[in-house]
Amino acid sequence: MTLGPLLALIVVLAVAPALPGIATRTRAFFTGRRGAPVLQLYRDLAKLGRKGVVYSRTTTPVFRAGPIVVVASVLVAGALLPLNGHGALLSFSGDLVAFTGLLGLGRFALVLAGLDTGSSFEGMGASREVTISAFAEPALFLCFTVLVLATGELSLAGMLGERLAAVWPVAAPSLALAAAALFMLALAETSRVPVDDPATHLELTMIHEVIVLDHSGPELAFILFGNAVKLALFGALVVSVLVPLGGLQPLLAVPVLVGGLVLVAIGVGIVEASMARLRMNRVPQFLVAAGALAVFGVILLLR
Amino acid sequence: MTAVLLAVALILAGGGAALLLRRHPRLADPVYSALLLSGSTLGVSSAIAVLRGGPARLAILPGSLPGGPWVFGLDPLSAWFLLVVLGVGACAGVFGTGYLAPERRHRSVAGTHALFALLLVALTGVVTARAMVPFLAAWELMALSAYFLVMFDHEQAEVRRAGLIYIVLTHVSTLALVGMFAALGAESGGRSFAEPGMGAQPAGNARTLVLIFALLGFGLKAGAVPLHFWLPGAHAAAPSHVSAVLSGVMLKAGIYGLLRVLWLLGPPPAWFGWTLFLLGLLSGVLGVLWALAQHDLKRLLAYHSVENIGIILLGMGTGALGLTYGRPTLSVLGFAGALLHTLNHALFKSLLFLGAGSVLRATGTRVIDRLGGLARQLPWTALAFGVGSVAIVGLPPLNGFVSEWVVFQALLSAGGSHDAVRFVIVGAAGLGLIGGLALACFTKVDAAVFLGQYRSARSGLVAPADPVATMLAPMLLLAGACIGIGLMPSLVLGPAQLLAMSVAHLPGEGTGSYGNLGEAAAMISALGLGLVAVLAAALLLRRSLAADAGRRLAGTWSCAGAAATSRMQYTASSYAAPLLSAFGPLAGVRREREGMAFHSHVADPVQDVVVEPFWRALEQTGARLRAVHGGRLRWYLLSVIFTLLALLFYLTRAGSLP
Repeated sequence: MTLGPLLALIVVLAVAPALPGIATRTRAFFTGRRGAPVLQLYRDLAKLGRKGVVYSRTTTPVFRAGPIVVVASVLVAGALLPLNGHGALLSFSGDLVAFTGLLGLGRFALVLAGLDTGSSFEGMGASREVTISAFAEPALFLCFTVLVLATGELSLAGMLGERLAAVWPVAAPSLALAAAALFMLALAETSRVPVDDPATHLELTMIHEVIVLDHSGPELAFILFGNAVKLALFGALVVSVLVPLGGLQPLLAVPVLVGGLVLVAIGVGIVEASMARLRMNRVPQFLVAAGALAVFGVILLLR
Repeated sequence: MTAVLLAVALILAGGGAALLLRRHPRLADPVYSALLLSGSTLGVSSAIAVLRGGPARLAILPGSLPGGPWVFGLDPLSAWFLLVVLGVGACAGVFGTGYLAPERRHRSVAGTHALFALLLVALTGVVTARAMVPFLAAWELMALSAYFLVMFDHEQAEVRRAGLIYIVLTHVSTLALVGMFAALGAESGGRSFAEPGMGAQPAGNARTLVLIFALLGFGLKAGAVPLHFWLPGAHAAAPSHVSAVLSGVMLKAGIYGLLRVLWLLGPPPAWFGWTLFLLGLLSGVLGVLWALAQHDLKRLLAYHSVENIGIILLGMGTGALGLTYGRPTLSVLGFAGALLHTLNHALFKSLLFLGAGSVLRATGTRVIDRLGGLARQLPWTALAFGVGSVAIVGLPPLNGFVSEWVVFQALLSAGGSHDAVRFVIVGAAGLGLIGGLALACFTKVDAAVFLGQYRSARSGLVAPADPVATMLAPMLLLAGACIGIGLMPSLVLGPAQLLAMSVAHLPGEGTGSYGNLGEAAAMISALGLGLVAVLAAALLLRRSLAADAGRRLAGTWSCAGAAATSRMQYTASSYAAPLLSAFGPLAGVRREREGMAFHSHVADPVQDVVVEPFWRALEQTGARLRAVHGGRLRWYLLSVIFTLLALLFYLTRAGSLP
């Protein structure tokens, strides 16, 4: 029973580090450059895993705990998603609150680890990160509200499983709006353009990159892996809302999910190539817009 | 009930012992702590016995007392709140002995300990009284003992002002409650509320009046926006262990009252449920937003209490709407969420206030932007405060998550019907926003107080250090409770659900009937333990990876510039600024630039924009009327005659006179 979801989770974790590479490569292609290899992040992770670490003298054990909590929280969050469309490793009524809570726990640890260095750069990045997440959180709950209303289920495995395939024909407009909102949230939560730019080289303009400025070696690898998995999880949410995996055979659902994740990564790359970053004070508006899309979805279902 | 009476006697004896032994502090503190602890343990154990399905008991005080029989009772609802009162009260009381010990150099603290014991007794009375006169007596005793505790540092003008605002508003609340009881008694004729069926239920206008007065009186005590503005000042001014009880426990007297009224009157009209729901949303969002703006650690925590009362009211409002619209599952989930959050908030908020107290003792300041890097000097305080902050943000695997999860379920399960109640579902987005803002706020506090570098120039007199064991032990105990409930939610979910069913008057055949909280409790435990296991695995992986490659220390990266100094650190105010500016004037931050100086200070939008201008206008009008009051006899006689004539004219017109 739990073997299927476990295997699906392992597949997603294995594929996750390729997604940022695909996004970057797509962006390079559309801007007329060659770009880094798709599998670059795997190499980076392997290299960082072998390296030593440098700690700032200002830091406390909080700094060392940060990367571990980041990686553990996204892994457990992944266990809550029905990645093969037929049940999750852990599923209970209201587990979507646990999903957002675990992502929040990772953010809490990451932000505190950054602030532990006492650096202004990290402070600035942390401040922006929590600002963005405070606006992303209600939008994410509105997306889940659409799913709850469409399927009548309160667990992620229920609302993204077989029931979703059954209600798709009725609730298609709302679900499409929720998927669009989830894609916008994925961009914000995983620090991509138009909210943050992973390719920026100036500390003052970074958000996610600057929080991890003082992390090195295996700890940096943990954070990079955690962020890639987070992109995969948000991608999986988008894919499973658009293509109800519960309607497919479990063995077919996993390849479909992986294909969908690749398409999401290409989509992220296209967005990055085609638009500039938003000004920092415009980011809340972007996220409110995502929330507004989901609100329309809710209204269509509540009417 | 006898056990509770004995517990009250023991706690009072503790207060008395503190007074009698005031010349022997070495003896007084242990005796006071021991009596307080034994009394609380006794009370808590009898509360737990009732919650585990023991018989609910009523007791009538012997002798003829004013205002009819003085009925006290311990049913599950009272027992739940008694658990909160005595459990948190005992921890805060023991902390208080260590916290106030340094004050003995300047003044006597025996009176404060005695008042604290009195406050606990009064709170016990509030949650057990079942008749009008003993309830109001206990309520007033609670208000007054809290007032004298708030005024501990009465030399400071700011404390006196906070105390004044508190004492005025707490009496407005008492006044509203007198009105509520009058409306309740006018119809039913009785002055006791021992059972819902006793006497005729108030109907029509009387019922509306009861509900309005209950909202005003209990809402004021609970500190719901816009009736919250007395709260931050008073809770920040009181000694920290008192703040812990005021914020963690005394606000809950308002929650208890609202639940008791719902229990007494049965399904309320729809407007009542919606009002609770909207007050909850308003208090939740604005409370956390204003907390984020604060510069003072204890004021910040006090505003967070407003936020948490908001979460409790969201649950309670959903429960009340469930009663109105006949959706039992909604009622049970809503009330269970409200009750659980009451308990959890009491645990983590008192823990945070005690932590703030130990920071205050170690450094002498509550200004967040003057602190920093205390995790190295106060590791145990930092650990306990960290546990409290993860809990208050509602993150797994701690207790705050458990209760927010129940409230979320209540909100989300409201959809899927054709009643107006389905719109409750949008509350989930509000609760999400509250969670996001709370995360921003507590990363700000934790980082600015405990991480980075110490911000102000060191005075060099005393090095900050962890407090004495009597202060540390209560904090660690409360932190342990937060972790325990988070990992083993089955301890509280079952009782909370049964209690919610009894508040909603639903027949109890096990917890499986309405929402399956008990079943999910095991899954939450699994989630928490799974998280711990994955954390351990990640830690092992991390250890094995860095083993041979080595580690070294260096300065914080500062863009290849000079090493960062503590003055270059990001301040808590700048950290919060982008989020606050996104909310504009709602956040209440005022900025001032004069030449080279820049200040920002925080106003409370309700107190500074609405209440005080209104009060000043009232005062000015009064001053203008003073001209009449010139002391000339003929004017007074003339005004008496005119008044009489006007009254006569009115009465003849109204037809009352022949």
